[in-house]
Amino acid sequence: MKKRTRLEVIRDILEILRENRQARITHLIYKSNLSNNSIKPYLNDLLENNMIEKLVEKEKKLFRITEKGNEFLEEFNKIKIFSESFGL
Amino acid sequence: MPLALSLGKFYGIDSLIEILMIIVSFIISYYSNKVYRLVKNKNYRLFSFAFLAIAISFIFKILSNLTILHKVNVHVANFMLVVLTEFESMEVINFISLILYKSFYLIGFLILFLILTKTSNREKIFLFFYLSLIAILFSIYFDFIFHLTLIFILVFLTYNFFINYNERKSVNAFLVFFAFLLLSIDHLFFILEDFSPILYLIGEILSLIGFLCLLVNQIKIKNEKTNKVRSNKRYFRNIKRK
Repeated sequence: MKKRTRLEVIRDILEILRENRQARITHLIYKSNLSNNSIKPYLNDLLENNMIEKLVEKEKKLFRITEKGNEFLEEFNKIKIFSESFGL
Repeated sequence: MPLALSLGKFYGIDSLIEILMIIVSFIISYYSNKVYRLVKNKNYRLFSFAFLAIAISFIFKILSNLTILHKVNVHVANFMLVVLTEFESMEVINFISLILYKSFYLIGFLILFLILTKTSNREKIFLFFYLSLIAILFSIYFDFIFHLTLIFILVFLTYNFFINYNERKSVNAFLVFFAFLLLSIDHLFFILEDFSPILYLIGEILSLIGFLCLLVNQIKIKNEKTNKVRSNKRYFRNIKRK
């Protein structure tokens, strides 16, 4: 199986959040096929870039996609081709 | 020393070609900056700076074309004396714009080189910039040094883009590889331009085709289908209310 690029992993995480509206980290780990350790840097980056947001509901930590994250999903194909054409 | 006011070589055709290159470079720089704002990956920001530098360099090249054409023949071995003689006898705007053109152009491709080699070591980056500065200074007297330095950088970039094309096998990757291949070759013609002015024109045409390839690549990216994301506007409005 071909290894996913960084962009593809980000796309997958955002897709999961978009479909589920909001999700816990365990659900994201299960759906995105990532380990607990490997998903954390991605989530931190996404939080830092305001593509997702963290919220607490009934003492449960949840993640939710933002408008910026949604914009990224819409532009994903174009960004992917741009990156691949220049090998970025 | 013959002096003549001109629109550039070949009645300004080269300046027209350079205007197109400015537009293409600005488009790539703008798009890369747009991606950076979404992804926050510094490579995209550097990539945007690289093409911005290339676009600015062509503005200075046009400016140098618009000022006075000159040909200086100094047969003095002392380098500093040559530089001072050049500066005294040349139109200041022409001299400065030519130096700025060379600096921005070289910096642009050097940044691309640093991105592709993933060079983050500060000492190495400093060394590369220092060597580029030396190349620009020496090119005041020996113009071919500027082109030779660029050929080295561009050949490396072309090789990397060829490997990238070989991996992806996509039209877009091929367009980028082909564009940089032409940009590498055109500097060979610029080195030889003293033998015949037509070689300069061939070089400019190769540059034009190269940048047109990059433009086609950007148009193809722009026309790529966007992912149909369900309209979440009401959802985001609700979030804001909460």
